[in-house]
Amino acid sequence: MIVNLEALSFIRNDKSVLSDVTAAIPDGALTCLVGPNGAGKTTLLRLLAGELKAASGKFLIDGSDSSTLSQKEVARYFSLIPQDVQPPPHFTVFELVALGKYEPDKRALWWRLNESERDAVNSYLSRCRIEALSQRRVEELSGGEQQRAWLAFALAQEKKFLLLDETLDGLDIIAKQSFFRLLKEIASGGKGVLLTTHDLDLVAQFADRVIVLNSGKVSYDGSPGTNLQALFAPNNG
Amino acid sequence: MRRFFIVIGVLVLILVAGVLIGAALGPVKLDASRFFSAILMRGDASAHILVWDLRMPRVIAALLVGTCLGVSGCLLQSSTRNPLGDPQLFGLGGGAAVVQALAMAGTLRTGSWGLVALSVAASLIGAGAIALFASRQGISPARLALIGVSLSALAAAVATGILAEARVFSQQSLSFIGGSFANRGWSDIVPALPFFGIGLVLALPVMGRLNALALGDLVAANLGAEPKRTRAIAIAASGVLGGAAVAVAGLVGFVGLLIPHLARLLVGHDIRAILIISIPLGAAVTLFADQAARLAFMPSEVPVGLVTALIGAPLMIYVARRVL
Repeated sequence: MIVNLEALSFIRNDKSVLSDVTAAIPDGALTCLVGPNGAGKTTLLRLLAGELKAASGKFLIDGSDSSTLSQKEVARYFSLIPQDVQPPPHFTVFELVALGKYEPDKRALWWRLNESERDAVNSYLSRCRIEALSQRRVEELSGGEQQRAWLAFALAQEKKFLLLDETLDGLDIIAKQSFFRLLKEIASGGKGVLLTTHDLDLVAQFADRVIVLNSGKVSYDGSPGTNLQALFAPNNG
Repeated sequence: MRRFFIVIGVLVLILVAGVLIGAALGPVKLDASRFFSAILMRGDASAHILVWDLRMPRVIAALLVGTCLGVSGCLLQSSTRNPLGDPQLFGLGGGAAVVQALAMAGTLRTGSWGLVALSVAASLIGAGAIALFASRQGISPARLALIGVSLSALAAAVATGILAEARVFSQQSLSFIGGSFANRGWSDIVPALPFFGIGLVLALPVMGRLNALALGDLVAANLGAEPKRTRAIAIAASGVLGGAAVAVAGLVGFVGLLIPHLARLLVGHDIRAILIISIPLGAAVTLFADQAARLAFMPSEVPVGLVTALIGAPLMIYVARRVL
């Protein structure tokens, strides 16, 4: 499965945020979306998640035009973990990940996990190496542990693509490296992972593909084996 | 799940005890045999009137208002992700208070059905304002609480102004501002029942989605929980219940704020369980507060809001220090 962005544009308050964005996001690969602050990375993720509507252009999900789909239908392909996501008060890690299994349209009021779903939640906890934390409150965990809990939550939704917006901000370098390794492992398992980040060294080390955004335009889309820093617009952060 | 049913069972027993106390005790003493005869619709007419026409409506009013406030607070807190969510504190009851003040001042002349309907409509206007602000991206719980408190203070000032202008300085206005179940009859309760039903029926379908709202709007939308629609329905239900509560008992403070936090201490943080527990818990706390307000200084009595504040303030400080 592949997501093709075709001349995607987005305008906010009469200002162009994304302009003519054309790129490809394949499954089975870790794609990093990099660019200076305000380049339009978060907007692009929210467009993909169906939260925002493009002013022009479209993106194709395995050949199907997303503009013909509702927000809910688009969201079936993408798990979004936004920037600055707040841990839900009082939830344990297990309960957070279990909510990934919640499907409002199919679940009755008193839904509870069945045996196989419980096993699935445990397997995602184990895959993200946080099974020992399952009964801890999410808000009590370190930044790195919280991000793993959110990643397990995203995986529990069993969608084809993961959209992670600056998930690694505030983590130390060891936690970041460890998280990148985990993402790489998940991508090689068949998921498409799109991560926005500013850590160009780690991108160069781990990413399968890189998309560089500058002032809402794609200035590079390809393999990470290039001088990414040089691709940033000189007048931006 | 076992704990949930144990808590429900204990609360039902407490409620039964509260109902019996409310119907049995009062300035006029009834011995056990006369009381039980009256309860069973037998015995002498005076005992029957005392139990079924004077005391029982008051008991039912307290149960109804406690349920409304508990559920209303729970819906507000979960849908706005705000631990300060309370129909009185967020100004939902304020609109209803203005309507009631107009009626007490004699400016608004309508029957009890019309008065309850107008109170609910006014409460829904406050609910609409809160829903509008809560749906704006980036509004913090603290800012939302400030907006709610400001709306509430404004409505309280208008209501007090109306009462002052009309020179309503009697026990009646004190009872209204502090909340009271004194002299409530079936005619005060029956008009509120449809709104009580509407509020609960509105709340039921969104209960399952309220847990997803705790993850933030973007994640909730990505899960398919339709946060804006879910929040609008939850706040509307909260407005209907809050308005009906004010129409029956005036401004009873602290119940809507406190009950969801107490319920969370008892059954954990699944909103569905908290909402269900808020029904008997809100009813029980309000009923026993009213019994204290009614019986502690017999034959006179104090506003029930005074008792709920006396119980609620220390409990809320405990919850804020230990849990929030």
